Amino acid sequence: MLSCLRVFMVAVALVRPMASLDAQAPADLDRERLGYLTWLKTAPNSPLAAIARQPVGEGLRLGPPDANIPLSGIGEHRILRKGRALALETPSGTRPVSRGQAVRLGRYTLYLTGPAPGTALTVFGQEERAAPPGYYEYDPSLVFSGPLLPPEKRGTARVLAGDGTETEATEAGSVVLTLGALTRLRVLRIASGGEESELEIFFRDQSNGQGTYPAGRFVSLIPLPNGRYRLDLNRARNPFCAYSAAYPCPAPWRGNVIPAPVRAGERYAGGGLKTPPASPEIN
Amino acid sequence: MPALLLQGAAALATLASPGGHWRAVLDLAGGPLPFAISIERAGRAWQAELCNGAKCQRFSKVRVGGDSVVLENADYAATITAALRGDSLVGYYHNVGSNGPRTIPFRAARGRWPITRAPTSLVGRWDATFSQDLETSPRVLEFRNGLAGIEGTLISSTSDYGPFSGTTSADTFAIGYFDGSFVYLITGRLKGDTLRGIFHAGLRTQTPWQAVRSSGAPHLKSPTELTSADTTEPFSFRFPDLRGRLVGNDDPRLKGKVVLVDIFGTWCPTCHEGMPGLIELYNRYRGRGLEIVGLAFEVTGDTAVDAPLVRRYRDKFRIPFPLLLAGTSDVEGIEAALPQLRGAGAFPTIIFLGRDGRVRRVHAGFHGVAAGDQHQRQAREFEEEIEKLLDESVSGKR
Repeated sequence: MLSCLRVFMVAVALVRPMASLDAQAPADLDRERLGYLTWLKTAPNSPLAAIARQPVGEGLRLGPPDANIPLSGIGEHRILRKGRALALETPSGTRPVSRGQAVRLGRYTLYLTGPAPGTALTVFGQEERAAPPGYYEYDPSLVFSGPLLPPEKRGTARVLAGDGTETEATEAGSVVLTLGALTRLRVLRIASGGEESELEIFFRDQSNGQGTYPAGRFVSLIPLPNGRYRLDLNRARNPFCAYSAAYPCPAPWRGNVIPAPVRAGERYAGGGLKTPPASPEIN
Repeated sequence: MPALLLQGAAALATLASPGGHWRAVLDLAGGPLPFAISIERAGRAWQAELCNGAKCQRFSKVRVGGDSVVLENADYAATITAALRGDSLVGYYHNVGSNGPRTIPFRAARGRWPITRAPTSLVGRWDATFSQDLETSPRVLEFRNGLAGIEGTLISSTSDYGPFSGTTSADTFAIGYFDGSFVYLITGRLKGDTLRGIFHAGLRTQTPWQAVRSSGAPHLKSPTELTSADTTEPFSFRFPDLRGRLVGNDDPRLKGKVVLVDIFGTWCPTCHEGMPGLIELYNRYRGRGLEIVGLAFEVTGDTAVDAPLVRRYRDKFRIPFPLLLAGTSDVEGIEAALPQLRGAGAFPTIIFLGRDGRVRRVHAGFHGVAAGDQHQRQAREFEEEIEKLLDESVSGKR
């Protein structure tokens, strides 16, 4: 039975295309990285500018030293829950606040993100930002293509997305590749707004903590014609907790470990979480 | 020889202008999404339009410098940045969401898209089933021929996705809709009596679907099934109007009338599309006892920001009925403001109140003109419901 399974898995494993003589990153990846780095360096809600983040829960106090989130130079403010709506109480009155909308508070910018009950408040500052991440040289041998195998059982899982937002993800299946050894990687579909979603893999590998982020990285599957998918590990990217310790780090997904170093995609040189969290794996 | 050189330089100068019509595509993972762009000089500046078939919208700003062309759509914080290479534009579309930018390759060639017409085997209405991760959901697909050739509409239980246009060849088709924010492409093939294809959203999301000819039986969930309301008590609300005066369901203007409560947002294109029809109903039935009140659910919930937007919306359509500032546009905002509603979330949603103030019907979503038959049927149902309610006495009986 075991040998039958192995033959099946080999038959459906993602295959590595012939390595190209030209090892340059494809133009679309260069463009994506440039746009992303520009956003990290300049956006008011760049994770590199995040200084604090907390779930709103039943409400939060901001400002004074003993507040949930102390903010230097800011008097008493509160984020209130009114039923399922949210409001900001200031010394001059209370006004509703919406998710995704920037709220200025002195030299700070506040954003509320994520649906209830997991709505979180993130505070961004204007202090000098940490350096944006670097990338490994493009490695064409870390590009695989093959089928997405159906999930063993359908369902959803409550996970943290790469941006630290708690979300309900759908079991999309798994991919199998040979890198170090035959490895099955679980794939979840994570909504990214409107009709759009990403087929995401949160994986760990033997480079973690030695050039890459200790707690693992995300990579999206790229659909190809005829129902196949490309897994390009050069597109591996850090969760936001790598940029700022303000963000919660996703718990590793059970089993998604590649038994080889993946020196491709986004690097990590410290600055956020120094050690992997002792959080349990998700089932 | 010098004259020839000059001619050559003049030709190059002409080629270097981005002015004219362009066949444009966004290169999604699953194939090219076709649309059209036209760029022209307006005095010393430039202006440009983005077209899906015959429907066009103007870019908010056009910047041309050297071989660089930047087309901005301020509504969606989106840009198309391209370099002029002979008779091509090559670059990318870029917009910024709350957790990072989205970048999709863009290219264009000079000229207009050839007009291809949908074959009769494709024209008409199809009942589609979308399948993703073992879940299925219904949609309706409609194909027709318009001025720009094949046109299509994709309809869900709450709304349509906008006017699609594109190309067809033998038994295959590819129709797209791109408005600067929404990125949709439908590709498919007719085999026997079944259509099969992929719905592409954004750069990478793909949803397989298949469809059969509509039998005429309802395929979508009825808009009245999606949202429900407490009907045991009069529907209660009280919000400030644009002058800050509180208006509630017990206002003398509404008391004893048939009332349509329109849940809308100025940020919602479908709400804009539905408003002229509501005004028409108001003008036709007001004399017999119909009133309409619009409840604005805006992005910020901050009166200083929202009130000017709602005023602009009122002035744009010359809306003759009151618009109230009701809250924020998320589901939680609606439920907090209108606790008698259950399952609210579609914009617009129209609540029909009888003369006794109780909810008689809740219609979630709106099917625009692009939805064809669905749009006509919706208009008929609205009229029938209003006629029925106007004929009721305050006690709810005829």
